[in-house]
Amino acid sequence: MFKFAPYVLKGLWRYRGRTMLTVSGTAVALFVFCFVGAVQNGLAQLTRSQQAERTLVVFQENRFCPASSKLPEDYARTVEKLPGVKEVIPIKVFTNNCRASLDVVVFHGMPPEKVRSARDLTLAEGNWSDFETRTDAAVVGQAVANRRNLQVGKKFTIGEVSVSVVGIFQSSVAAEDSFIYTHLDFLQRSQGKNSVGTVTMLEATLDEAAGPDAIASQIDAGFRSGPVGTTTRSKGIFQRDTLSDLAELIGFAHYLGFACVGLVLTLVATTTVMAVQDRVKEHAVLQTIGLRPLRIFRLVIAESLIQSLIGGLLGIGTAMLLLAWGGFAIGAEGVTIAFQPSLELGLTGAAVSLVVGIIAGIIPGWQAAQAKIVMALRQA
Amino acid sequence: MALIEIRGLTKQFRKGDEVITPLDAVDLDIEQGDFVSLMGASGSGKSTLLNAVAGIDRPTAGSIVVHGVDITRLSRGKLADWRAANIGYIFQTHNLVPVLTAYENIELPLMLLPMSAAERHKRIQIALEAVSLLDRAHHYPRQLSGGQEQRVGIARAIVANPTVIVGDEPTGDLDASTTEQILDLVQRLNSELGMTMLLVTHDAKVGGIAQRQLRLERGKLIEKGREVSVVGASVTSQRA
Repeated sequence: MFKFAPYVLKGLWRYRGRTMLTVSGTAVALFVFCFVGAVQNGLAQLTRSQQAERTLVVFQENRFCPASSKLPEDYARTVEKLPGVKEVIPIKVFTNNCRASLDVVVFHGMPPEKVRSARDLTLAEGNWSDFETRTDAAVVGQAVANRRNLQVGKKFTIGEVSVSVVGIFQSSVAAEDSFIYTHLDFLQRSQGKNSVGTVTMLEATLDEAAGPDAIASQIDAGFRSGPVGTTTRSKGIFQRDTLSDLAELIGFAHYLGFACVGLVLTLVATTTVMAVQDRVKEHAVLQTIGLRPLRIFRLVIAESLIQSLIGGLLGIGTAMLLLAWGGFAIGAEGVTIAFQPSLELGLTGAAVSLVVGIIAGIIPGWQAAQAKIVMALRQA
Repeated sequence: MALIEIRGLTKQFRKGDEVITPLDAVDLDIEQGDFVSLMGASGSGKSTLLNAVAGIDRPTAGSIVVHGVDITRLSRGKLADWRAANIGYIFQTHNLVPVLTAYENIELPLMLLPMSAAERHKRIQIALEAVSLLDRAHHYPRQLSGGQEQRVGIARAIVANPTVIVGDEPTGDLDASTTEQILDLVQRLNSELGMTMLLVTHDAKVGGIAQRQLRLERGKLIEKGREVSVVGASVTSQRA
């Protein structure tokens, strides 16, 4: 089969305008396919991780936006005393936009020593001692640093919050790369006197043996008669609930991925049909020389496959580079979904290109192989 | 035993309600090294006979036995393999693959045979030399004249050293001077290399260079004014 590679490649080059258009169309479709897949990966990781199941989030009852949830900070001590609870972290959340946005900036104010111990962060730049000693210090996730061009030593202000960037981190949880961690008391004070002593939420880490649902119910029951009622859910459910509208949209975007596959199929099949129709006589000549119908079929499939694969790999490569470099995330109500490229996604895209390339060539390949030689030779 | 034995070869087409029979129980023997021309009026069935012998068209009935193989009974795939090994086809309109150079066009039939790249190269050089086109090996068809294209077509037909060379009006698209050159080349291939040739033409001058000159009239083959008859000929197969 490889002996005929020059014939196949030169055939594609002969109609290079058409080939380029098909390849670029396929590239765009696979680019979109990868972007959709990356968002879905991000959402899946957010809701299915181990941490999402073993950590409870205590939020003010019937509140969704972080700006409206205000829990007394000393609730943390009460929750910490419950059996099965390993650790409780009071967190103040401040976000520049509670609605869905592609450039959401989320501050998490936490006791500084907890940032290091409770989060799996690796500093790419800066150092932890600066973070622990300066009250307005902030460590910034790499994705948000890329998006906002933040560097160590720079001041960063958004709304009434102004922090000094002392570190840029990478997290094992991609969504956290879009967060900015700062001191809890700093973030409380920066939002006015009323905020001092209040937090947005409590994050309770559970023992291995503890039942998350039972403890969540216990927490909510305990505060029902207190000054502020609570709603406690596992972190995964909290994130899914918070992002429910967005998750629905992302779920719908799944169909966009299928549409991309359909688009590639139509595009490559149309081009291949045209290429075969233009070369009915040429294929008849090849059959006269002695090429078997099956070999003609394989040559047509090879043409279709090459276009689909080149386009697919271009689209996948571009999408992966852009996703890795851009640090894109979509967020709502203080929770972010990182667009997460992965090797698996890239391989899935390549497999889609491969399969679609083969399928797109089947009908035109069959037509070329079945053509009656004498009739085809009579074509002008 | 003749190289090609055609027995009871019949081809019928249906055109509306009318049944046309361009070949009506034709019998013919062609010996190794024969140079046969086949003439006749347009639509007389000469190309139909040639295409049946070349294995690119199926007869309605009859048999074509080449080197002991009845090619009318071969499957499409086997017939393609048989063509690759046994037939060199010279087309009227050259039919070179436009994206391939003269060298690559000539190489096509060899790629279907078990042969090393070095052996292929050697054979292509010989074929190019035979048609005096060594200096045009890496030219594309669009860079060649009509006569040069036809010579590449001939080189492609002879390169695999096939059992039979068939030509369907091989000079039909050429001017008088180029026709002379091509006929000279074809004659040399037959006389010097002993290649068996079957040429279809409507041009008496072209037909005249062959040792055997046949005419197709009303579905019957005529040679030297009489219908071709073969001793012991009988229809060996009949298909719908």
